[in-house]
Amino acid sequence: MMLDIQNLYVSYQGIKALRGVSLQVDRGEMVAIIGSNGAGKSTLLNAISRLVPAGEGRIVFNGVDLRRSIAHKVARLGVLQVPEGRQILGEMTVLENLQVGQLALGGRPAKYSLSDVYALFPVLEERHAQLGGTLSGGQQQMLAIGRAMMGAPEVLLLDEPSLGLSPLMTDQVFAALGRLNADGLTVMLVEQNAHRALELTSRAYVLDRGLVVREGKSRDLADDPSIIASYLGV
Amino acid sequence: MIHFYYSYQPVIDFFLLSLGFAYSQQIALRAGVFSIGTAGFAALGGYLVAILATRTEVPMWVIIPAGAAIGALGGYVLSIPLARLRGAFVAIATLAFVKVIIALALYFEDLTGGAIGVTNIPRIMDTWSLALMALLVIYVNWSIGRTTLGRIFAALAQDESVAASLGVSIRRYHMIGFMVSGAIGGLFGGLQSLYVYNIEPNAFGFAFVVTILTVVVLGGRTTLLGPIMGAGIMAILPEVARPLADNRTMVNGIIMILVITFLPRGVGDTIVDAVRHRWRQRRGASRPQKQEVADAVASD
Repeated sequence: MMLDIQNLYVSYQGIKALRGVSLQVDRGEMVAIIGSNGAGKSTLLNAISRLVPAGEGRIVFNGVDLRRSIAHKVARLGVLQVPEGRQILGEMTVLENLQVGQLALGGRPAKYSLSDVYALFPVLEERHAQLGGTLSGGQQQMLAIGRAMMGAPEVLLLDEPSLGLSPLMTDQVFAALGRLNADGLTVMLVEQNAHRALELTSRAYVLDRGLVVREGKSRDLADDPSIIASYLGV
Repeated sequence: MIHFYYSYQPVIDFFLLSLGFAYSQQIALRAGVFSIGTAGFAALGGYLVAILATRTEVPMWVIIPAGAAIGALGGYVLSIPLARLRGAFVAIATLAFVKVIIALALYFEDLTGGAIGVTNIPRIMDTWSLALMALLVIYVNWSIGRTTLGRIFAALAQDESVAASLGVSIRRYHMIGFMVSGAIGGLFGGLQSLYVYNIEPNAFGFAFVVTILTVVVLGGRTTLLGPIMGAGIMAILPEVARPLADNRTMVNGIIMILVITFLPRGVGDTIVDAVRHRWRQRRGASRPQKQEVADAVASD
């Protein structure tokens, strides 16, 4: 088991965002975390990345307790987050943004080369000299994923990658994630767009008000009437 | 030209000195640290250089780097207790640091001359040597902008948590920012001592802090041109406003308010942005349009 979260509690700014979440991600898996706004999905990713302080519980990655680590060390272990809203460095070029991604290597060997990133997202090569801030939303999402690839991810955590993207762009981004996973990369995908997330992943957890309320195969959840009613809204 | 140089030499020298202090201030801001400790670093360098130059036979090529070194050391020490602070709290804590340095300068009278300060410092700096040192600092800042360090600073200044999630140790790079700011501040504090004959604690007080901050805010907080424009304006402004006699400070204030209101990024940064924008437009115009259209359709 690559990532093992046991009974995790997180509260910050007076809000109990996670109230005993347990979940597991195996190597090579692609797992979705779905749930409505405020369910604690982003908090879960930020707790793994140590961007918010974790309360009780365990977050174990490849045998290392991440609760005892700090954000930049977690990144250097290969737990790389593609944050909500992309967070591209707007004043730097596309190429510089990708080079910044290498900081997360921290001595580990690279897994993807620049040409691997360009092969997956040809538009980034075309625009390598353009400032990150001038890219469209979809291109910025590709750049954010490419930046994480440069840091040799062991597991890629994505926070709402489809947010603000057109359906066509979402297709492209999700297709790229599917290809990365097919090549063996472990992916944890937080999405409000539950329909898309369940299509793409093999397993999923449903979060509601800080608790895991359902878990199972994505296919089964997508067919489940109660899930359809609550999260897939017709 | 020679005539121009002699009549405006003090203005040029003032410009060069404030340029150095402004880069010390700016590099901290570029690293995402809202430090206003430059006055304290300048006092550390200024006093060390003044004391060594008046009391010892240490050669100048050792004394001047020593000023930079003590500034960097000051930055390192200061960064340790401040590691947990952010934003305005860093500003207040670094202002307190400046006050502590001034208090120490007043207290250790035997060494620093107390309120009178250090006098009869040999004057070895002139316009040309100041210009050379300013060029050195510009070169260092330019190089930082072109290396990984510059990218890390830019990432930190934009969003700390993103920088951390990219594997950047916030504590470590804030410390480096403090040290570079300290080294430049200490260096120019020392150069100032070797230019003005005597230094006293009040020279590094609140007025100094405000002046340097003003230079960077007026000029720009991110580009190399920023401090040059800011220091230039601050040097020329009193000359231009001279006929206004007693109303000069008021006019200074009004001009600053106008610049900050209408060019919030500072004169230098605004110019650099405009030039870059035009350059990009010109390049963009010669690019094939097909891909643009495809992207526009595909993106949101």
